[in-house]
Amino acid sequence: MKIDIIDYESCSAAGVNISALRASLRQHKSGLIKNNLPGSAIDTWVGVVGEIAEVNDLGQWQSRNNALAALGYAQGTIRHTVTNLINQYGAARIGLIMGSSTSSIDRTEEAYTKLNQDHTLSEEFIQPNVHNPHAPALFAAHLTGIKGPSLTINTACSSSAKVFATGARWLATGIVDAVLVGGVDTLCLSVLHGFNSLQLLSANPCKPFDQHRDGINLGEASGFAVLQRAGENDNGRGIRLAGYGESSDAYHMSHPHPEGLGARLSMTQALSRAGLTPRDIDYINLHGTSSRANDLIEGKLISELFPDSVRCSSTKAWMGHTLGAAGITEAIVAMDTLSTNVIPGSKNLETLDEALNFSIKAADETKVCQHVMTNSFGFGGNNCTLLFSRAE
Amino acid sequence: MQAKELKCKIVGVGAWGSYFENWQGLQALLNGAALPETKLKGPKPGIIPANERRRAPLPVRLAVESSWQATKEAGVEPNTLTCVFVSGLGDTDLTDYMCKTLASEHKELSPTKFHNSVHNAPAGYWTISTGTMCAANSVAGYEASVSLTLLEAMIQCETEHSPMLLTFYDAPVADILTPVLANQETFAFSLVVFPHDANVQGQLVTARVKQDEQATWPALRSNSDYIGQLYAKNPAAKVLCLAELLKHPEGQIVMPLSSGTALTISCEE
Repeated sequence: MKIDIIDYESCSAAGVNISALRASLRQHKSGLIKNNLPGSAIDTWVGVVGEIAEVNDLGQWQSRNNALAALGYAQGTIRHTVTNLINQYGAARIGLIMGSSTSSIDRTEEAYTKLNQDHTLSEEFIQPNVHNPHAPALFAAHLTGIKGPSLTINTACSSSAKVFATGARWLATGIVDAVLVGGVDTLCLSVLHGFNSLQLLSANPCKPFDQHRDGINLGEASGFAVLQRAGENDNGRGIRLAGYGESSDAYHMSHPHPEGLGARLSMTQALSRAGLTPRDIDYINLHGTSSRANDLIEGKLISELFPDSVRCSSTKAWMGHTLGAAGITEAIVAMDTLSTNVIPGSKNLETLDEALNFSIKAADETKVCQHVMTNSFGFGGNNCTLLFSRAE
Repeated sequence: MQAKELKCKIVGVGAWGSYFENWQGLQALLNGAALPETKLKGPKPGIIPANERRRAPLPVRLAVESSWQATKEAGVEPNTLTCVFVSGLGDTDLTDYMCKTLASEHKELSPTKFHNSVHNAPAGYWTISTGTMCAANSVAGYEASVSLTLLEAMIQCETEHSPMLLTFYDAPVADILTPVLANQETFAFSLVVFPHDANVQGQLVTARVKQDEQATWPALRSNSDYIGQLYAKNPAAKVLCLAELLKHPEGQIVMPLSSGTALTISCEE
């Protein structure tokens, strides 16, 4: 079944909405800054969305993660699109699938710093709908008025890529007439200190695939996209979800498979589901975290699977690794090239890793693309590849 | 487009809780057997390599044990199954550990505890222990975790024609978080399902999504206090209404799915 992407929006340190993101990409202007998160002295760079602080009226739903979801949903036309669909089909015929890795643990962290003297939660933090892993979809259902099935996918850094695959399947069975998919993850002490404990953070702006890369930068983002069956909408965006692949490494909780077997499987599955061959792909937005291991394994795999004609880049030097929101953030960067006809370069790449040889460049390229791909790999060896095409 | 009926065959069941070590034990309790005198501490699934097992948190061990039982009963190789793992509460012991550490002066986290804190840790340990390279999903649905997971997995089974492993698990909640998440019981339950037209022996289950803003979780047949508590407080244990239906397949059950929908489930004898 053909699935159209009828609208999308992105909110990150590289731009509070898709227009601002496009401008940052064109100007090669990064949103990364020196870590200034309260309570954290870790020497690293982060992609902070400053506007989150203005969203402080969520009452019982308040958390930094929910605030970022609300901020993202207020951008562009996404709210308008969803409201029209609710009016057309009824709220119970619209599905909702959110991806996240932190959910609202930022709020639980805060609650633990403001416990009562007897070590109990203080009144303002008695928020059952916030302190649980389903918080992102519970809040998004409240925010949007969607009453159809609402699920949260938490597969670490592949979470909000997998929402597209689940959304496509839901549409194929007709249980809903449209699906709002999204991803949201916020900077919090858990992830900063967690990645620091794994010695994965860089004290410098990240340099994906560079010979001298020395780790990742974390960021926060929210993103949304609306999916419908082809033929049931006018698809003004002209973008189609052509394929997806989902796989497991079966190797280690926090190290990628050394030969990238799981990643290979998710890419080949996406191609075969779309009925395409590697040479059909114009652009791949890579997972490209800037960690030594990920970039080496992913880069080698790309050179084995794809010809030189396929342009690749990692865009994480613009907004950092946004974890559970990275899947949809980078899906949007990839699919947006079908609208802008500009393939973003791989920011901060100076000298390609000497062990790698594939078509990645720091400079942008103007090209009318037909088919674009994006990779997302997460802890637990959880992989997802998405493939978007220009609708015929 | 009209919503399709979703059909699949259940070919294996696994279960683990403080008073039962498998599906037979759970069925006995559902049938009114007296509670065993001693409460079990937690499973030690042999499929997880010993050095990993020592570090594996309770939710991981629960999920892996019950998944292993279901695949054994189904007589299938675990690595042929696409998986959906669900917990309504997540690993609150690790949430508690991280938040306490981060609220203290010394914020150094254990790297192992950090990577174990991801919601998909059970899916990760399962795929690593069994060599499963199939897709492994990890989802959350709070109070609707069971109905959402049945929906998600039955849709995947139908649209991709793949046999599936579904595992529902929730562990007792850490002290500080009990005012918001009440559960104090340990529970895991797994199903191995095949597409309805697969050439395997199994119990046919049909699910339909219907519009319904009023649905509530159905009353259980069991009048055991323990089972009642489990069903009321442990989000994963909401699957007990389906467990009873499998043994007494008369009529159908309706599960709340979202604020505007419910999932109707019936199964053949």
